[in-house]
Amino acid sequence: MKRSKFLVTFAMALAFAALAICNANAQQSSKPANNAIALTGLPGVKDNAKGRLTVEGGKLHFSYAKKSSDLKAVDIEDVVTGEDTQAAVGKTVSNLSMAAPYGSGRFLALFRTKFDTLTLRYRDENGALHGVIFALPAGGAEPIKKELLAQGAHTTVVEERAAAPASANSSKEPKQ
Amino acid sequence: MKSYSNATLCLTVVALALAARPLSAGPAHPVKAKASAIQVEMIRSDEIKLPAEFQISLYENLVRQLEKQGGFEHVYRDGDRRAANAPDLVVLHSTVRGFKAGSERARRVTTVAGATSITIHCEFKNTEGKVLLEKDVNGKVWFFGGNLRATYDFAKKTARVAHDNFNSSAHKS
Repeated sequence: MKRSKFLVTFAMALAFAALAICNANAQQSSKPANNAIALTGLPGVKDNAKGRLTVEGGKLHFSYAKKSSDLKAVDIEDVVTGEDTQAAVGKTVSNLSMAAPYGSGRFLALFRTKFDTLTLRYRDENGALHGVIFALPAGGAEPIKKELLAQGAHTTVVEERAAAPASANSSKEPKQ
Repeated sequence: MKSYSNATLCLTVVALALAARPLSAGPAHPVKAKASAIQVEMIRSDEIKLPAEFQISLYENLVRQLEKQGGFEHVYRDGDRRAANAPDLVVLHSTVRGFKAGSERARRVTTVAGATSITIHCEFKNTEGKVLLEKDVNGKVWFFGGNLRATYDFAKKTARVAHDNFNSSAHKS
């Protein structure tokens, strides 16, 4: 009796997980590529605000809920991309599922989706340093970074890569 | 009967001694140094490679928490030219000493593994470069939340340290 109850619960958890993941994937594929979440640091914008991120006219433009925020590309000292993962199912469902019997809810935590991070550093008119972090769908950060660099932003990652062979060459030169 | 009354007497003496202890102790709060403004330098991570988003998140959370609960009249960011005219300025230098990138997935599944932890050495200096206070502050995320939540924990603790040790009017609390 106990065994059958366990099997039924497990099957239900599996079905629930499959449904949730399908739903999450469907939502993700229907979104346009430049959807972004301003995780932190964007002036005048609440943390975790969802909106659209574009680069146009030498500016990084984030529009959300009938408002918008701009950053001049030339003011950006550093643009870095990264990647992370997040739960495939929503926060509420994920938290509620923790109460499911036999730890079956934890099963949902195994399913995660990848996302990109776009990290910026810029200085305002007083010279004060600010940092901004955006989360974008997987593969969405690199095109934005390229556009920003093309419009006057800087990055330390390329400079580091360029400096590495140069320093390697210079270290070889005295030996010759 | 006599042993019972002796035991009661002993217990009473111990209870009274414990109750009187806080009264006889010295001042609970340290004397706060005067500082009307603080400038937050960017988090340094020369020895330990820290992901860029962690570094920025640490810095932004630190500025925000100091504004919220630091008790300073002004909180200046790294490079802010206005800080040069601020009286009683304290500069906060933070260097990453330890970083363990945990796993949100492991935290969710096991609840005992996957903690993200970050240790930062904080130095509060005056404008002449003299160290007024230094302390290692640890930020952690144990059960719920993304890895970046460790930066929020660190920022809250550091702002508390600043609040407990500095005051814009330099009164004893």
